[in-house]
Amino acid sequence: MIEYITNFFYAYLSTIGFAVLFNAPVSTFIKSGFAGGLGWVIYVFSNGIFESVLVSAFIASLVIAIIGEFFAIVDKNPITVYIIPGIIPLVPGFGLYYTMLSLVERNFGMAANYGTEVLLISIAISGALVIVLSLNSYRRQIQKKRREMRNK
Amino acid sequence: MISTNRKKTLIMALYAGEIMLKNGAETYRVEDTIIRLCKSRNYQYVEPYVTPTGIFVSVDTKGESQDEIVTYIKRIKSRRINLNKVAEVNNFSRNFVESNMDLKEAMTMLKDIDKLKSFSKHIDAFLGGGVASGFFALLFGGDMPAFLGAFIIGSIISYILTYLNSMEFPPFLSNICGGAVAAGLAILISYVTPLINITLDVDKVITGSIMVMVPGVAITNAVRDSIAGDLVAGLARAVEAIIIATSIAVGVGFILTLWQIMLGGSLS
Repeated sequence: MIEYITNFFYAYLSTIGFAVLFNAPVSTFIKSGFAGGLGWVIYVFSNGIFESVLVSAFIASLVIAIIGEFFAIVDKNPITVYIIPGIIPLVPGFGLYYTMLSLVERNFGMAANYGTEVLLISIAISGALVIVLSLNSYRRQIQKKRREMRNK
Repeated sequence: MISTNRKKTLIMALYAGEIMLKNGAETYRVEDTIIRLCKSRNYQYVEPYVTPTGIFVSVDTKGESQDEIVTYIKRIKSRRINLNKVAEVNNFSRNFVESNMDLKEAMTMLKDIDKLKSFSKHIDAFLGGGVASGFFALLFGGDMPAFLGAFIIGSIISYILTYLNSMEFPPFLSNICGGAVAAGLAILISYVTPLINITLDVDKVITGSIMVMVPGVAITNAVRDSIAGDLVAGLARAVEAIIIATSIAVGVGFILTLWQIMLGGSLS
């Protein structure tokens, strides 16, 4: 349990660090930090259950996207502001760096390993984001249709 | 005779799109904003085509004859992430669509948004680069010395990157410098710390401190754009991410190899 709390704390603060680097509006810091921290804890937790980086990254990004969408609707900010710092702990930037480092060191087998993982993880994360975003635009379409029906 | 109003609307909408794209908004959001802005002033035919390196927009009143169509092309040269400006343009576009704001007022508002100041470089370095690097070192299983090392080196790298960017160095060069400085300082500190009976995990320190440069968001956005069907934009962003990753790897790899050859060190 303690492990999850410290993990949440670390991910929360590093997400806020990135929010500063990305010049996010100050009022969104605490919320995007919350998305990042909770996403990372869920990632660690589901990694223990499924033992698959891909599934965990997918579930965690789903949660981050839902939290981001919620805050985006409440605060009328674009969801980008919450999601981009929030997914930072999950995102395979290091994988891409290791891929290139392996290539520079002429270790082509390792490069292929890392490269495949990068591709799959980024597909898992962006797939989760796309699912939540499409559900939200579906919800908006329905609301719009209802409003038009009422006006007729 | 093409009305000047149509041109002004187009210029204003494209300027809004340009600010968003330059500051890290997704391709679909930029296209969506341009369409909304133009349609709110009754230009029913709007075709934006947005890639990370340029925006193309055509506008006309109706899709029938199209003999008064206006097109504007804008080349985008540099991109960075400034989410505050994205949020501000988003607010602006909501206000513009819902009100009867005239175009002159809209242009001045957009210019004000474009001039918005970012955080000072000291805040950027310590609260941004330092905190992000330090806590990432902890997240990757580092201990307290690794946290401090990554915090210090991350802040220094932030200063260096801000300076090189303000001098308009190409990102490729500034990232090579960043990687080399991260590896060099981490190794240097690891030779000093045994004097006060602390062992430093060089690998964790380097991992934490290059976190601020690593293109994780870029590669995820590339895949997102590709999934959304913006294939050209997706490819462009993927290439950008690969170039950044390569330049960091070159910087770090160079110093690590030098360390192995000259001093016989290695990452355990």
